[in-house]
Amino acid sequence: MIFQSFNPLIDIAPRFAGLRNFFVFISDSEAHYAIMIMLLLTAITTPIQLGLGILFGILLSSKYLHGKSILTSLFIIPMSIPSVIIGLNWKMIFFTKGPLNAFLESIGISPQPWLSTPFGNPFNTIFSLAILDIWQWTPLIALAVASGIESAPTDVRESASLDGASEIQILRYIVLPMVKSIIIIIFILRIIDSLKIFDIIYMLTFGGPGNVTTSLPFYIYKVGFTLTAANADLGYASLLAVTLLFIASMLIVFTLMRVFNVKKVLWE
Amino acid sequence: MKRESLLAIMITTVGWIIIMLYLLPFIWMVGTSFKPIGEWGVPILLSQNPTLRNYAEVLITGGIYGVRGHFPPIIKYLINSLIVSICVAFLTSFLGAMTGYAILRHRVGGTGFANWILSLRMIPPVVVLYPLVVMTKTLALHDTLGGLILVYPLITIPIATWFMIGAFKSVPKETEEAALLDGCSEFQVFYKIALPQATTGLATTFIFTFLFSWSEFLIPLLLAPSERAMPLTVFAAYFSNQYGILWGPLSAAGVIISIPVIMLAVFIRKFIVRGLTMGFVR
Repeated sequence: MIFQSFNPLIDIAPRFAGLRNFFVFISDSEAHYAIMIMLLLTAITTPIQLGLGILFGILLSSKYLHGKSILTSLFIIPMSIPSVIIGLNWKMIFFTKGPLNAFLESIGISPQPWLSTPFGNPFNTIFSLAILDIWQWTPLIALAVASGIESAPTDVRESASLDGASEIQILRYIVLPMVKSIIIIIFILRIIDSLKIFDIIYMLTFGGPGNVTTSLPFYIYKVGFTLTAANADLGYASLLAVTLLFIASMLIVFTLMRVFNVKKVLWE
Repeated sequence: MKRESLLAIMITTVGWIIIMLYLLPFIWMVGTSFKPIGEWGVPILLSQNPTLRNYAEVLITGGIYGVRGHFPPIIKYLINSLIVSICVAFLTSFLGAMTGYAILRHRVGGTGFANWILSLRMIPPVVVLYPLVVMTKTLALHDTLGGLILVYPLITIPIATWFMIGAFKSVPKETEEAALLDGCSEFQVFYKIALPQATTGLATTFIFTFLFSWSEFLIPLLLAPSERAMPLTVFAAYFSNQYGILWGPLSAAGVIISIPVIMLAVFIRKFIVRGLTMGFVR
């Protein structure tokens, strides 16, 4: 399909187009921008998720915390809601006259345009999308870290505290190295998953205003299935899909080769 | 001792405050769903005179405050979603159990096969959308519940397979070998010996696949464009894009969609991290 050209509104059947799709891709600045947005979203969301997730995870696994099971159950809520509903929910929060702006006004900050770009600067909409993704997936990292800490052997920690190490020293030098492998794996998984962000873009901004939040999956959808983009063409959409597949499979192969040893898990 | 109890109180308070702040957007949606008309945009958490009218209209009568045709009742889409999710959950747990068993006990496909199945889960679904549309159209399955039921396992089977591998690993091999010696066929061993011992894993797989197919959005967006097969998630998306300011009914719809999955997710809380990271973190 990537060597063909097919726009169902104009053509009856797919036509052979040779390498034309490749040339379109090379000069299509919108597609380059979409790839950049996709990588930018990943670069914003994953580190913040990781930092917050580790903090929350340490808090959740603290032995001083009461009502741990209820807290864990509540913490699962953001992960389990369909991301479409999360988009709906936050659209309400980010609404120009919505609760977030009302809150900001009450503490003396002027209302922010969360979902529009008055000065041609796309960063605030991308930032809003990033907040959503962070909100939804930080609990996953937190719960993974917490369960890792809880399943780690406690005798080392006890002997360290007998030797006079402070709580923070124990955390830094004993507990965190123990869960390091879990953290690395889940970090890579989050990177791969954040390449797939589509639902919340569809719900919150629909790629707009203009095309400032159009990341690559959403651009493929626009080019191939809504036929509203400038280069609307199913053959071209297929080429973009193959590009995305290429980027994703590089990461996947890296994950499977480096981090994950199937032999060890299955038949050890 | 006194210092410890003080620390406990502090940490517990901080934890609860953080969780409450964290869940505030969701709580806000629940609050809005009980607000009467005219208060939807007002920035207060709970209304003075809460009402159930949003739920009644969204679920059964449709329309916004008497205006028919504005907002069709979601009960039909709810039924669509339920049918698809339950069928997919049955189909995938069954297939996943068989695949997992075959991979674990008989090393079907060698070492790489399990990895291949796992890598399916990581592919962005938008990549395979166009082939799926063409295939379902050719098979006359486009815009039918059957089409969705056949396509969803693409996403759910990897999870199910890896879950069932984990479940069968805890089943002792010896009982199966004994059953084989006593004259059971391979399938009888799987069906009568191994499966009953992996019931917990099977139930978890079932719930997981249900959650995934309930939340799926991109695939039904293109494979089920009309109301014949449209599930709740796509419906909610359409209507929020058209009637974006009707927060009351939209919140009620959102709450209705999220409640069952939240309950199920809390039910399988212990497995949820393992399921979402799938085989990576043990």
